[in-house]
Amino acid sequence: MPMTWEDETVRVAYRVLAYIIAIEVAIQAAVMVFAIAGLGIWVQEGGVFDKAVMESEEPPFPEVVGFMIHGINGMMIIPAIALLLLIASFFAKVRRGIVFALVIAALVVIQIYLGLFGHEAAVFGMLHGINALALFTVALWAGLRAKKPAGEPAVREHAPA
Amino acid sequence: MPLRRRGRTIVALGATLAILGTIGWFWQESLLPDSYSVTEMGYHDYGGGPHHAGTSLDVSVDALAPPADAEAEVEVTLTAEQKTFELASGRSVDGYTLNGSSPGPMIRAEQGQLVEVRLVNASVRDRVTLHWHGVDVPGGMDGVAGVTQDAVAVGEEFVYRFYAHQTGTFWYHSHQVSHVQVAGGLFGALVISPAVEPRPVEVDETALVHLYEGQRSVNGHDGDLTVDAAPGDRVRARVVNTDAGPISVWVDGAPFRLTAIDAVDVNEPEEVEDLAVTVTAGGRADLEFTVPTDGAAVRVELSGSLALVFGDAPSEPRRQPTEELDPLHYGAPAALEFDPDAADREFEFNIGRRLGFLDGRPGRWWTVNGGLFPDVPMFMVAMGDVVVMRLTNDSGEVHPMHLHGHHAVVLSRDDVAATGSPWWIDSLDVGVGEVYEIAFLANNPGIWMDHCHNLPHADEGLNAHVMYEGVTTPFRVGGPPTNDPE
Repeated sequence: MPMTWEDETVRVAYRVLAYIIAIEVAIQAAVMVFAIAGLGIWVQEGGVFDKAVMESEEPPFPEVVGFMIHGINGMMIIPAIALLLLIASFFAKVRRGIVFALVIAALVVIQIYLGLFGHEAAVFGMLHGINALALFTVALWAGLRAKKPAGEPAVREHAPA
Repeated sequence: MPLRRRGRTIVALGATLAILGTIGWFWQESLLPDSYSVTEMGYHDYGGGPHHAGTSLDVSVDALAPPADAEAEVEVTLTAEQKTFELASGRSVDGYTLNGSSPGPMIRAEQGQLVEVRLVNASVRDRVTLHWHGVDVPGGMDGVAGVTQDAVAVGEEFVYRFYAHQTGTFWYHSHQVSHVQVAGGLFGALVISPAVEPRPVEVDETALVHLYEGQRSVNGHDGDLTVDAAPGDRVRARVVNTDAGPISVWVDGAPFRLTAIDAVDVNEPEEVEDLAVTVTAGGRADLEFTVPTDGAAVRVELSGSLALVFGDAPSEPRRQPTEELDPLHYGAPAALEFDPDAADREFEFNIGRRLGFLDGRPGRWWTVNGGLFPDVPMFMVAMGDVVVMRLTNDSGEVHPMHLHGHHAVVLSRDDVAATGSPWWIDSLDVGVGEVYEIAFLANNPGIWMDHCHNLPHADEGLNAHVMYEGVTTPFRVGGPPTNDPE
């Protein structure tokens, strides 16, 4: 069965969404370190960081935007993309595409909870860092392996008896 | 194989619909009506007490006020404005003022006096109210928009009247769009003194600690604030935390006593040194000490970023003490006016956090007893009840819990009983994983917010109410007066 242009579009969408998740994970790492570096510089310059400052709506140093991006990205945007990827996987003719999309969704959920638990015990923060690499790898892999259409078995079915 | 192909498409569509449908349903369910009464919100929780205790109360919350013909002894007019203003330090801030400044004027009263404050809204576009934080005012004077009054529009006014029954350090602030207006400076201090001062001091200074646009200040000053004090002077420093998170306060240069917490005197506070005192968001701490006779200054460090300095000798900040003063075991025990062991009602107030929708906004929101706002309990009490509340926090963040209209006594923390002076609070720092048991006497009829004083958290749904049997409210959140208490 040949791939129609619709099939092709969904497959490309699947690939792009998977790559975006990988890029998003990289952004998450980048903005976090950006914010922590900014905090360090601010403290060096005499700033005092406490819970009241942390809860202040006004940022005491500009790099604090990194924490905000990390939160919005991690809690909203990445889960939304993972969900879109899952939906795309239902339509895309990518072999084991649904399995990969499910694994990515699961890693995203785990990542959220590890991030949350990190507020209670720092060791979860460590696992959050490791899980980020797992999510990055699986998302990248899912994108790469969806390069070719999963058409091979269909061709065999069409072969004359 | 067109049939197989069609089958696959149908399954894919079905799975998509199942995911989107579920999300859509949760989204739809979370939408709040344009206006609602807090008394119809969530579900009633009777705490194991009777649904109808049979009290004779039948009153609208706005009728709960001192007699109209009683003559006020302290009269103040506060005019609220929204504008760019200068702090005492000269820094320009975009926010709110009362009588042209932020913090607003200090209000002083003597115990027993009738205080009357006329609030005039000159230019606050989102409207305004005033809440008397820590003062157990009559129900109609609590200043919560949409619960005890309508928010005051530009050009309108509202008169607050209450007897100053208590003594100590209080503050007032807006309870309309409070997470914005309080941060923007719409607050001030209120100090009520006893007719005869049991511990006279030579220097009595109030320190309103506030982050204006992210930068810490004390009474509107950005740096250390020097207060005139001579060697040998007795000093009382009243620290008020007007921000959204706890601050640490410590005294450098003299031993001190923590003489009051949230405007209630500590019984027989012992002198301590090198201990930090945590003042939770909305909370107050009175610290007393004597300026040393050798002429050295005493510094009251406010979270290490600035200090009140008593005396003009040069001084250097010192690091935060590693140990904290624990009010659970500080001071001497004293009898309570009620027996918490004979509680009429016992409530659970568990704070959690989960993914979901809050009025259609996706996010990770606070929960009360597992439910997202507005699916939160209305704690129902009857006049005269002894109420015990267990506060637990599984949300991953600290919460300064504030009960309006009452002071509660801390019975235990993490099942360790309080052994010191009765520790009365109106604002309590409930840390991650902590369990607090508190008790209060339901002796002030009304409909009272019981919420997180990290005000953005209250806006994110971390608020519930305590409601008295027989009290109703004509006010609604939302609607034409755009009441928005959080």
